[in-house]
Amino acid sequence: MKLSSVAIGVFAFAACHGALAEPAVTVRAVELRAQPASDAKSIKSLPAESAVDVVGRQGAWVQLRSARITGWAKLFDIRVGESGAPVAAKKGGNGVADTLGLAMGTRGSSVTTGVRGLDADMLARASPNAQAYATLASYARNKEQANAFAKAGRLASREVAELGTSAKTASGAAK
Amino acid sequence: MIVPRPILRGAAVIAVALLPTGCGTPGTTQPAGGSDIARSVLGGYSLGGINVGSAASAVSHAQDAYREIPEAEEIEMGKDIAAGLLGAAPLARSSEQEIYVNNVGRWLALHSSRPDLPWHFGILDVDTVNAFATPGGNIFVSRGLLARVHGESELAGILAHEISHVAMKHHLADIQKNAQKNLALDMASLKSGGLAGEAARAVARVGLEGYVRGLSRDDELAADRMGVVIAARAGYEPYGLVAVLQSLAAMPQDDAALGFFLKTHPSPHDRLAALEAQMPASFETYAAANPALARYGRAFPTRK
Repeated sequence: MKLSSVAIGVFAFAACHGALAEPAVTVRAVELRAQPASDAKSIKSLPAESAVDVVGRQGAWVQLRSARITGWAKLFDIRVGESGAPVAAKKGGNGVADTLGLAMGTRGSSVTTGVRGLDADMLARASPNAQAYATLASYARNKEQANAFAKAGRLASREVAELGTSAKTASGAAK
Repeated sequence: MIVPRPILRGAAVIAVALLPTGCGTPGTTQPAGGSDIARSVLGGYSLGGINVGSAASAVSHAQDAYREIPEAEEIEMGKDIAAGLLGAAPLARSSEQEIYVNNVGRWLALHSSRPDLPWHFGILDVDTVNAFATPGGNIFVSRGLLARVHGESELAGILAHEISHVAMKHHLADIQKNAQKNLALDMASLKSGGLAGEAARAVARVGLEGYVRGLSRDDELAADRMGVVIAARAGYEPYGLVAVLQSLAAMPQDDAALGFFLKTHPSPHDRLAALEAQMPASFETYAAANPALARYGRAFPTRK
């Protein structure tokens, strides 16, 4: 069962990414493990700041490739990107962002032409669009529709406690 | 900030005259007397903690600024702000994608502390990276942000973060805090006889300015913490938001698409560090629901 969920996770990643690997860097010393679990066998030790390729993710775990070894580490153990630090802009390409793109619309050449932005000036100049709001409202789903959507996706509610100390302002979950 | 008394008085009277119906105190007709007008403003749209009835101390102003706004009024306010936002950026045209995002969002919202708000979710047809929440439950995510999303759990992470802002009333508190100095001046400028709806527009302006100011770092980190909890409660693996923050951290931080977002949010690296410190090991046991992954790809096909 564990194996099949791993396989599906990797498949989903490949489907989304066109099997592209993303460069990343380890932020601490990391044990690459055979399975996405803390008690799984370690197959390789990587020092901090090792360059790796991310080839899949399953929840808290990412599948990494280093040299010819592939294994699992925690998502928090890496930073995606060439250096792991904030990346300087590169002329003539989007670098990592390009390989991540899911492309709902035009990108690539649109970087220089036809980019539609939203910034402080546009917000300051905006006059309200009631018709667009009516369109927005027309897409709303009710509880029954949302429940059916969740069921179709095999999403089941869980009991999960709030985190941290400042979470007291919003109490009580939907059961 | 204390605004001079004469402006406040004018602002209060004009506000009463211009407030749309439905914003007044329920069950009362608008009173005509001066101090009653002041009170009805406080009890109505109630912006800025405007207090013209007494010698206002800094303390009472602060209290007014955090007065509980009734939900019906919060929803009206959110509608005006959302309409303003849609005046600056159009909705994406794909009704299939809009409905998909509403399904994910509505299901998540059912697991927040405010499941019964009239939640609306929209895709803004802009290339820049951003997401917005208004009071009352209007949530927007930009096409530019969705272009960096890899699946339904990542979308859920973004939407749950925005839902958390609404659940914890972050923007509402921000508007109340800032209306005192901003809205009073806007109202005063309407003295020469504005139209009905002008007051609502002034409110929307304070709300829209909130997106330029940005919320506090504490509010953003709190929404991250609450967001991963809401996603987990809704059955998603809760690391979707973490993965999105990783993707944003990997972008050139001077990318024009990120400029406005980074000016108004803590850096993705800071947010990742805060989440790592807060997310318990038990979250690692929450697995992804695989059918949800497949349908994301159908709604947002990968460009070849």
